[in-house]
Amino acid sequence: MSVFIIKRLLSLIPTLLLASMLIFLFVHLIPGDPAAVLLGDLATPEEVAALTTEMGLDEPVYLQYYYWLTHVLQGDLGTSIFFQVPVLTVIGDGAETSILLALMTMIWIITIGLPLGILAASRHGTIVDQLCSGGAMMAASVPTFWLGLYLILIFSVGLGWLPSSGFPSLTDDGGVFNLRYLILPSLALAAPNAALIIRLVRSSMLDVAREDFVRTARAKGLHPTRIAVKHVFRNALIAVVAAFGFTFAALISEAVVTETVFSLPGIGRLVVQSILRRDYPVIQGVILVIVVLYMTINLLVDLAYARLDPRVSLK
Amino acid sequence: MALLEIKDLCIAIATQDGLKPVVQGISMQLEVGQTLGIVGESGCGKSITALVLMGLTEGTQIRITGGSIGFDGQDLLTLSAAQRRELMGNRMAMIFQEPMTSLNPVYRVGAQIVEAIQQHQNCSTQAAYQKAEELLRQVGIPESAKRLQSYPHQLSGGMRQRVIIAMALSCEPLLLIADEPTTALDVTIQAQILQLLKDLQQERGMALILISHDLGAIANMARDTLVMYRGTVVEAATTQELFAAPGHPYTQGLLGSIPDPDHKVDELATIPGRVPMMGEHVSGCQFHPRCSYATDECRNKAAPKLGTDHLVYCHHPLTDSTQQGAL
Amino acid sequence: MSSLGLSLMLPLQNYWCILWRRKLTLVAVIWLLVIVAAALLAPWISPYDPLDINAMDRLLEPSMTHWFGTDNFGRDTLSRCIYGARMAIVIGLGSVLVALVGGTLIGMLSAYFSRLGHVLMRGVDVLMAFPALLLALILMTLLERSIVNTVLVIGLVYMTTTARIIFGMSLKLKGEVFVDAALCTGASHSRILLKHMLPNLWSPLLVQASFIFAFAQLQAAALDFLGLGLPPEVPSWGNMLAEARIYITRASWLLTFPGLLIILSVFSINLVGDLLRDSMDPRFKDDIAGV
Repeated sequence: MSVFIIKRLLSLIPTLLLASMLIFLFVHLIPGDPAAVLLGDLATPEEVAALTTEMGLDEPVYLQYYYWLTHVLQGDLGTSIFFQVPVLTVIGDGAETSILLALMTMIWIITIGLPLGILAASRHGTIVDQLCSGGAMMAASVPTFWLGLYLILIFSVGLGWLPSSGFPSLTDDGGVFNLRYLILPSLALAAPNAALIIRLVRSSMLDVAREDFVRTARAKGLHPTRIAVKHVFRNALIAVVAAFGFTFAALISEAVVTETVFSLPGIGRLVVQSILRRDYPVIQGVILVIVVLYMTINLLVDLAYARLDPRVSLK
Repeated sequence: MALLEIKDLCIAIATQDGLKPVVQGISMQLEVGQTLGIVGESGCGKSITALVLMGLTEGTQIRITGGSIGFDGQDLLTLSAAQRRELMGNRMAMIFQEPMTSLNPVYRVGAQIVEAIQQHQNCSTQAAYQKAEELLRQVGIPESAKRLQSYPHQLSGGMRQRVIIAMALSCEPLLLIADEPTTALDVTIQAQILQLLKDLQQERGMALILISHDLGAIANMARDTLVMYRGTVVEAATTQELFAAPGHPYTQGLLGSIPDPDHKVDELATIPGRVPMMGEHVSGCQFHPRCSYATDECRNKAAPKLGTDHLVYCHHPLTDSTQQGAL
Repeated sequence: MSSLGLSLMLPLQNYWCILWRRKLTLVAVIWLLVIVAAALLAPWISPYDPLDINAMDRLLEPSMTHWFGTDNFGRDTLSRCIYGARMAIVIGLGSVLVALVGGTLIGMLSAYFSRLGHVLMRGVDVLMAFPALLLALILMTLLERSIVNTVLVIGLVYMTTTARIIFGMSLKLKGEVFVDAALCTGASHSRILLKHMLPNLWSPLLVQASFIFAFAQLQAAALDFLGLGLPPEVPSWGNMLAEARIYITRASWLLTFPGLLIILSVFSINLVGDLLRDSMDPRFKDDIAGV
C-alpha cells in the first residue's frame, strides 16, 4: 500500500510543477499593474515605478518564478500586496470558513444523496423512483448562486429564520451557534451535488442489481434487505466513491460563487477579490493551495477505490 | 412419491405489448436421488423453467400463468416469498452458467460460503468456516484452508464453479438444479466438473436436474431425459431409450446433428429452419415448420401426448418408439 | 469496417416511439424547440427593445403591459429573456463546438500516436488539476469580457474532459481488429482515423455534446454573475441575474424568471442527453457517466 502511495505521489510532482508554472504564468498575464492598482489613480508614474521595483515586479518573469518557487518549497508563499501580511496568514484566515462550509455541504450531500439514491433504486419503476430521479435532475439543473439568492429571499428576508451574509468565527461570541450562518450557503452548494449523487447511486445500484452474483445471492435464500445492502450497495459504492473526487472539484469551484453571494470570508471569495485587486501573491498562493488540495483528494479517492475493490491491484 | 412434480406449468413474459407465453403446459417428475436431463435449443424455455422452479423470478418480467409445482409435498406456487426463501439454498439449490460473474467480487470466497451456511443453519462462525473448508475439499479444491481467503478474481473459471457448487451444497439440498454449468468452461474442465457433480450427487443421494444442450453430458449423467422445444415438452423418456430409439422428429434431428468422428461427411447435418421468435404464432404442432414428416394434421392440430413411460408429443411419432405404452 | 458503426442513427419513427413512452422527455424536446424558436424570432416576437432604457418604468411588477415586469433600468424583462435565449444557444453551441473539436482531436491523436499522446495527455492532466470554474475564472481575467472569449474559455474547460473520454474510447477502438485490418490493406493514418475510428465516436460525442451544452449554461451564468463572463450590456440570463442581485427584495421577479428559464432549459437538455445515452453504444456507456 505504501509503495502505491509513494509511486502516485512521485507521478504527481511533474504535474504539480507544470501546474505551478501555469499558475505563475496566468497571474502575470493578467492585465493591469498591481503597483498602479495599489496606489490608485492619482499616483505618479515615478511612484508606480518605485513600488514596482520594490516589489520585484520588473525582473524577468522566469526569475520571478524561480524566486517564488524556491520560497514556496520552504513554506513561504509570499506577502499579500493588499494586506501586507504573509499570504499563508491570509489563506489561514479564510480556511476556517471554507473548510466548515465544505464539511457541512458534504454532510448534506451524504445524508440526503445516499439514502434517496438507494430508495430510488429499490423502488425502481414506481412513482417514488420517478419523483426522486426527476427531482434530482431538476435540482442538478439549478445554478448554485440562484438557489443561494432564492434561499436568502425565502429564509432570511421572508421568514427571518437564518442570516444571509457573513460568518463570525466559531471562536467569537455565539460559538457553535454561528454555524447557522453556514446553513443556507451549504444547502445551496449541496443541492445540485446531492442531486448528482442521487442519480449516480441509483444508476450504480440498478446496474449492480443486474449482475449475476446478485442472482446467486438470491439463490442462497438471503433476505432482500441483506442483498440490497451487503451485495448491491457495497458494489455500487465503488462507482460512487470514484465520483467523490469530481464532486469535490465542483464544490471548490462553486464555493467561489456561493461565498460571494453570501459574503462569506472564505478562500473562494478571497480568490475573486484578489483577482480584482491584482494581488498576485495571494492569487498564486490560493490557487496553488487549491490545486494541491484537489490532487490530494483525488489521491485519497483512488486509495479508497482500491480499498473497496479487491480487483484493483495496488501495484 | 416423487420429490418434484410439475404439472402443466405455463410461464409468460410481460412485455410492453402484453403477456407473451414462453412455456406452455409442461409437466415432469423427478424421484429422490435421480438425475433428470433437460435438453433443447436456446430459447426453448428450459432456463426460465429452472428460474421459476427455484423461485428467482422477483424483479424480472417472468410471470407464472398456470400449473403447479409440487416439491417435497408442498405446492411451491402457493408459498409466500418468505417461505420460498426458506427453501432456497436450503432444500433446493441452483448453479448457473457463468461462473466468472456469479460470485461477489468484493468478498472473499470463504465469507460467501459461510453466508450461505449461516442463512439456514444455526451455527457459529467458526463452525461455519470449518464446514466451508470441508466443502471446498469435497469439491476438489486443493489447499482449501488457504483458498477460503481468496477473492473470486484470484480463481480460475473452473475453480469458481467448484466454489459455487460448494456453496450450493452447503445446506445439503434435496435437489440441485444445474443450468448449463459447464458451457462457459474449457472442454477439459467441463469433464471434471460434470464428474464432480455426478460423484457428489451419488454420495449425497441428491436429485439433480441437469439442463444442457450438450447431449453427451446428458447421456453420461441423466437417467431420464426431457426434450423441450419452444416452451413445450416434445419427448420424455429414459435416456437410454431416448438415445437408442427417439420418438420425436426433433429428437431425431438433435441426435443426428452430433458429428460422428469416425465418419467423414461433406456437410454437417442440421435441423432446417430456425426457432421462431418469442410471440411468433405457430399453428398446430410447434415443430411442424421444420419437420420433414409434417402433414396437414400437424399444421392444424396441436400435437397429442402419446405413450406412458416413453412420452412423445407428436402426430406421427417415429414408429419404433411407440411400442411401449398403449396407443 | 467499423464494428458497431452509427448505433445512434435509428430511424426517426423509433425516436418518436421512444419519446412517446418518455413523455417528460417529449415535453423537454418541445421546450427546447420553443427556446430555439424564441432565439431565432427574437426581433419579431419580443414586445419591446431589450436595450430600451426607460426611467419612468423602473422596477414594475409583472402586469399586462410587461408580462415579466421591468428591471432597474426600466427594460422589459420578457424581451430581455427572449434575447437571452439567443445567448444561451450561442454559448451552448459555441462551447460544444470548441470542446468537441479540440477534445476529439487531442483524444484521438493521443490514443493513435502514443508518443504524442504522452505529451498531450500530460498537458490535459495539468489543466485538469484545476477545478473547472476556477480555470474559467483565471482565464477570463486574462481576457476581456466578450462573447467569443466566454465561449472559448468554457469550451477549453470542457475540452479537457472530452479529450480524456475520447482518449479512452479511442484506445479501446485502436485495440479492435478492424484497425489492424485497415492497416493491412495499406490505409493511411488519416483514413483510419477519419473513416474508421471517428464514425464509432459519433454517438458518445453526441451524448457528450448534450451534457456540455447544459454545463456551459451553468458555467456561463456563474461567470456572468461574478462579472467575468459576457459583457454587461449583452442580454443574457446570467447577466440578468447578476444585475438582479441587489434588487431581490424589491423586485423578486427579476430573479425568478431568468432563473427559471435557466433551470428549465438545463433540465430539458439533461433529459434529452439521458435519452441519447440510453440509446447509445453500450460499449462506451461506462465512459460517459455524465461529464
